Amino acid sequence: MKRIFTLLLLSLLCTSPAMALEEQNISSFMQTNIDLATTILRDKKIQKTERSEKLFAIFDLIFDYNLMAQLAIGGKQWSSLAPEKQVEFTKLFEMKLKNSYMEKLDLYTDEKIVIKNLEKIKDTRIHLTTHLMKNSEVYEIIYKFYKDKNGSWMIYDVDILGVSIIQTYRTQFADILAKEPFENLLERLKKPDELTPKKQ
Amino acid sequence: MRFILACLLSVSLLSASNIKYLGSDLQSNGDLEAEFNTQNSENLFDPLSGYNEIMTSINDHFYEYLLRPTAQGYAYIVPEMARHGVSNFFENLFFPIRFVNNLLQLKLHNSWEETERFVLNSTMGILGFRDVAGEELGIKAHDEDLGQTLGYYGVGSGFHVVLPLLGPSNVRDIVGLVGDAWLNPINYINDNDPDLFNSSGESLAVTAFYIVNKTSLHVKEYDSFKKDAIELYPFLRNAYESRRNKLISE
Repeated sequence: MKRIFTLLLLSLLCTSPAMALEEQNISSFMQTNIDLATTILRDKKIQKTERSEKLFAIFDLIFDYNLMAQLAIGGKQWSSLAPEKQVEFTKLFEMKLKNSYMEKLDLYTDEKIVIKNLEKIKDTRIHLTTHLMKNSEVYEIIYKFYKDKNGSWMIYDVDILGVSIIQTYRTQFADILAKEPFENLLERLKKPDELTPKKQ
Repeated sequence: MRFILACLLSVSLLSASNIKYLGSDLQSNGDLEAEFNTQNSENLFDPLSGYNEIMTSINDHFYEYLLRPTAQGYAYIVPEMARHGVSNFFENLFFPIRFVNNLLQLKLHNSWEETERFVLNSTMGILGFRDVAGEELGIKAHDEDLGQTLGYYGVGSGFHVVLPLLGPSNVRDIVGLVGDAWLNPINYINDNDPDLFNSSGESLAVTAFYIVNKTSLHVKEYDSFKKDAIELYPFLRNAYESRRNKLISE
């Protein structure tokens, strides 16, 4: 009986995936995954949907979409939401992030991405700086990691040329919620192309 | 016993499904919250927000209906290599702006590299059409403008202003734009009078050409970037201000 209880207890503790990204592995892990991702992107034979599925399989491991959603809407707003709304919002936000990422895939030609620097900001924060080279120009992309409660390092924000993805959404959400009810925001997230319909 | 086990099991399953969304994340995220709170729109000073929103949508329409079609038509006629050449030519022309502002920020090494670039590209690069210095010798341009110089000396950005045609800016950067205009060779074409307010039609035409050429090289990027917006004005405002802060800190 005792064993069953310990097993149950263990299963309770281990609700999160078993993989934990350790600090010393971040650079090599990211380099491997970036290389893998660029190989997938270069392979023009793979269909677009299949390609994004493969890529998301990589990124799902290291992006904390739930936390990103919370940070994007802001703690105050988040805690005022009913649990089912939190779930709905998180799902829509994750889709929005992925859709926007998929859009970017079309732009990819054969840029080189290299890891430049790993900087420990504090005990629970690490910034990984990468450089994307295109037409002799260099674009700086910083992946921001935090140490979650399981001790695994997860990405909570990406900084592109000094612009934080989360901050961009945060200002937009705050602006929308200042004028409109939360339901409208959900509606807008459902229609990603509403604002800029294809005109050609 | 079985009943207790079943209860425990269902509880554990429940918490497993809920924990993802309602876990203790929130409490431990206090400092993550704080990291993003600095630019909260509640304490953002944006007195022109009404005007800015309208101007953003005017600019957006201008881009959608005039600038982009023009740039795409132009790209259809002129091959990409030539357009890169034209872009290089103009960037080379803007050397005085970069040179002076690097100097003003006491980035002497950068000023020197800018001079090297200008000399090399203007001669070996055939009037700047080829970026020889960048491609062959790896001497990169050091983009600095007066807005960044002012920021470097601690001048705050002031409130956000969306300019007609030029797009997002702020009080500090507008002052910078006016200052840089005096260093911009384009404004002196066919103009013996150094008063910029009497600037000739030719200068405007050249500027328009520069913008169309530049846009033609970045149409896809612009479109993809804009698609990320849910609400265009705050999206562009945040992107612009963050980007400028980053450039100033470099």
